[in-house]
Amino acid sequence: MSLQELRNRLDNREIGAVELAQDYLNKIKSRDGAVNSYITVCEDLALEQARAAQAVIDAGSSKAMTGIPLSVKDNICTNGVRTTCASRMLENFVPVYDATAIERLRAENFVMLGKTNMDEFAMGGSSQTSYFGGVKNPYNTDRVTGGSSGGAAASVAAGLCAAALGSDTGGSVRQPSAFCGVTGLKPTYGAVSRWGLIAFASSLDQIGVVAGSAFDTGYVLNSICGYDENDATSSAKAQGGYTELVGSDISKLKIGVPKEFLDGSSGEVKAAVLKAADFYKSLGCEIIECSLPSLEYAVSAYYLISSAEAAANLSRFDGIKYGYRSGLGESFNDLIKNSRREGFGDEVKRRIMLGNYALCSGYYDAYYNNARRIRTQIRREYCEIFKKCDVILTPTAPTTAYKIGEQENDPVKMYLADICTVTVNIAGLPAISTTCGYGADGMPIGMSLTGRAFDEKTIIAVCDRFEREFDRKECGK
Amino acid sequence: MRYQPVMGLEIHCELLTNSKVFCTCRNEFGGGANTRVCPRCSGMPGTLPLLNKGAVKLAAKAGFATNCTVNNYSAFDRKNYFYPDLPKAYQITQFESPICTDGYIDVVGGKRIRINRIHIEEDAGKLVHDDYEGVSMADYNRCGVPLIEIVTEPDFRTVEEVQDFVIQIGQRLKYAGVCDARMEQGSLRVDVNISIMPYGSDEFGTRAEIKNLNSVKSIGRAIEYEIQRQSEILDKGGKVMQETRRYNENHDDTKAMRSKEEAHDYRYFPEPDIPPVQFTDDEIEAIRKEMPELPHQRFERYTAQYKLPEEDARLIIAQKEFSDFYDEAVKITPEYKLIANLMLGEISHLINETGADITEVKFSPADIAKVAQMAAADTVSKGSAKEIITILFNEGGNPEQIAHDKGFIMDNDADGLDGIIDEVLKANADAVEKYKEGSTKLFGFIMGQAIKACGKGANPGLIKKTLTEKLK
Amino acid sequence: MFDEKLTAHLAELSKLEFTPEELSEMTKDMTDIIALMDKVCDFDPAAAPYTLDSVDYEELRKDTYKDSYPNEKILENADNVKNNSFVVPKVV
Repeated sequence: MSLQELRNRLDNREIGAVELAQDYLNKIKSRDGAVNSYITVCEDLALEQARAAQAVIDAGSSKAMTGIPLSVKDNICTNGVRTTCASRMLENFVPVYDATAIERLRAENFVMLGKTNMDEFAMGGSSQTSYFGGVKNPYNTDRVTGGSSGGAAASVAAGLCAAALGSDTGGSVRQPSAFCGVTGLKPTYGAVSRWGLIAFASSLDQIGVVAGSAFDTGYVLNSICGYDENDATSSAKAQGGYTELVGSDISKLKIGVPKEFLDGSSGEVKAAVLKAADFYKSLGCEIIECSLPSLEYAVSAYYLISSAEAAANLSRFDGIKYGYRSGLGESFNDLIKNSRREGFGDEVKRRIMLGNYALCSGYYDAYYNNARRIRTQIRREYCEIFKKCDVILTPTAPTTAYKIGEQENDPVKMYLADICTVTVNIAGLPAISTTCGYGADGMPIGMSLTGRAFDEKTIIAVCDRFEREFDRKECGK
Repeated sequence: MRYQPVMGLEIHCELLTNSKVFCTCRNEFGGGANTRVCPRCSGMPGTLPLLNKGAVKLAAKAGFATNCTVNNYSAFDRKNYFYPDLPKAYQITQFESPICTDGYIDVVGGKRIRINRIHIEEDAGKLVHDDYEGVSMADYNRCGVPLIEIVTEPDFRTVEEVQDFVIQIGQRLKYAGVCDARMEQGSLRVDVNISIMPYGSDEFGTRAEIKNLNSVKSIGRAIEYEIQRQSEILDKGGKVMQETRRYNENHDDTKAMRSKEEAHDYRYFPEPDIPPVQFTDDEIEAIRKEMPELPHQRFERYTAQYKLPEEDARLIIAQKEFSDFYDEAVKITPEYKLIANLMLGEISHLINETGADITEVKFSPADIAKVAQMAAADTVSKGSAKEIITILFNEGGNPEQIAHDKGFIMDNDADGLDGIIDEVLKANADAVEKYKEGSTKLFGFIMGQAIKACGKGANPGLIKKTLTEKLK
Repeated sequence: MFDEKLTAHLAELSKLEFTPEELSEMTKDMTDIIALMDKVCDFDPAAAPYTLDSVDYEELRKDTYKDSYPNEKILENADNVKNNSFVVPKVV
């Protein structure tokens, strides 16, 4: 059921908000044990919010999100509800303020079912690095969900929420959405305030939406987008109306397919994406072969920039003000080292080490500064493509979801798997991933549509057009 | 051996904004521990800095006050180090693109001291040490208080140059409303980089950085100590260590501080949460136009236009409020020298004696202008003017009323004086005789007798004039 | 070349502590990771500058203050609090 249908049914009293919330909570109880998509389930809060939402509905003043049950990634601060970043470091951290996205949803009386599992501090593409145990793919629980918003994608795929808030720094909304056979939208950098999103890489992080359809991602984005005085990097250009082009004629659009993305992907992924291109061609769209020559530098540049920012962003976790405090340590130096040693997992430690390597004297210019230059170059190359195309079509990931334990212990292999998603974050552009086929293993294949900055409307409409025709397999809902 | 000291300064100044530099907490001194703190300035996860426009404006004004270029583009960076008074474990500062660059101030002896840059940054919190429990307690009230750091070139060669520079910086920033420049409260903090080299050499030695200097006097003493210390090391064939040293006022010495972090690698990189600031030429010009007259400009005006002696001008500009008072008074009565004399004489004397401040006295600049006007017009004598000021200082009131009530109004009736003075000359015929024979110093005695006879309302100038003519 | 000495230096900068076994494991991981990162060194620095989007001075936050947070909210998540302050082992 789409969010718009859910809205209508709630407003027509065909479903009650409390009943709806209770239904999801029951499903979470019975099914999430196998998936592990939630870290914290907010049963009492959700029911309380649902009752409040019902009162608003009864008064005839419902808004788009009133009574809609969502899951929220556990790196988005929720006042009074613990926010762990899936880390031992923040196991007991309870924020004293709400993220702006949450504040805006609360103002519309949404229902928060709980906080979803993820890679620790959003660093990873498997959702296996969580202190609270890895997330399992609802399509096949032997397989990973992708990450870092694996809990968000799994909670949507398994029907454990109506839609989910995630975050995307290098593909963390799109790639797990692809792996779990749902739709994931990474908005333009600045479209959603980052206030309250626990920072991984500040210049790349963006709150995004995972949902059952492109329309639904736009529907949720409408309620959380826009300039926020609490975030100097948020933009007034994000004005909402993200679903208004859905259903309009897209046949005049030009769709670019950069060859470099296909070259690095598996045969079945490449075939599925090209088939999608054919579909658009059959509608009358012009398919343009184009190029992003600097893609070869993208993964390295992304890891250097994101890790450098992460190293600084995670320095505040010292056990003193909040978070895990080691019992060991006679001196400040010992206390902080032991707290971080015991509080952080291996991947987080690797990123911090890499970030400090990129920034430390002697290496800074060769690594960090060159990564910044590559960033400019990638932006320029996207500008060139958008002179000729309206939308860019690529795979979301080079493969389908792999088996748990297969590659998440090989950092280099993991990093390389981000090749299809990181350039969008580097350039700050919006992109949406949806299912475009299934692999021989039965797992979903994802394709991504990337648009011009603040032109989410177009990619949502183009994505929706495909979803209308595509026979998407439901997983065990 | 005698060595040439070479010094450069790093001066941190707290800006007089209403709110902190990256959050909306009030920018204020003191208060209960952690009472002026919010999620932003205590570095809670998920928070973001919001640059204060007021801080940018004051930093630009500091640039104008020191002949700097205010740059169209300036950007922020993170300086990474771990210390419990720094909750984010990085300080937001400006590294690659500071707001102001390339300034100067001329100091004693006409020497020009170049200013490399002025940048904006955030202050850290405070630690209170509990020796008994062996712990430190972190208070973040000062976290995020806006600072500028003024960095000079190593152009100083004498203690006097350093002290004059620091005094001038404090005065200029106070005049511009940038900083209250209270060294003892820490709102202006001076670090001195000092090295020595043999006279005639042009190769700088290894420098030490001295911190914890909370008065102009301690700056002088610390430099003297450090020159001595470094000279002794070099004389013995040793090497000066590059290190940070802390001046101890009680022992009058400097001691090496334990470094904040073993590895001094701050790993600066651009702050992704704060977009760089773009200043248009018009915006910069609009701020420049807001600049008030600065102390050195007032000095110029006082000496060139008002013809005050340099020493008087220097004393008046030393305190902005005092100088403002003077300016107000001379605006009403342009008796520049007379008002300067009253302010530097009787008024300063009374202020120093009582520990009062020019901003809290019972009289206004208009009152002093009135007193000066009466004295200039010979309505009261200069001596009476001082007495009126004392009364104003102690009790307040209307100067003209006081002059009337206390009988200070001078009798300027020459005809009336004539008779009295004739009486005095008659009564002191002997002295008059001797005076006329050449004992000119007796004039003072006769004058005294005349004043006594004329009473306190008499005009001494007129008496003297009359007396002089009659004794011809 | 990446070696344990560099790993130890980075660990100090990162305020992380490793056992000798962990240090050697981390050195191995970092060696592989840096080999991947070395790709950026091939990029011609003259090809593109680094730039940042800027904001105009006029758009900055107005200098007005609001109430701070209640003291207990600020200290709520801290493990060790005394005299309304965060307690740390004594620093000299």
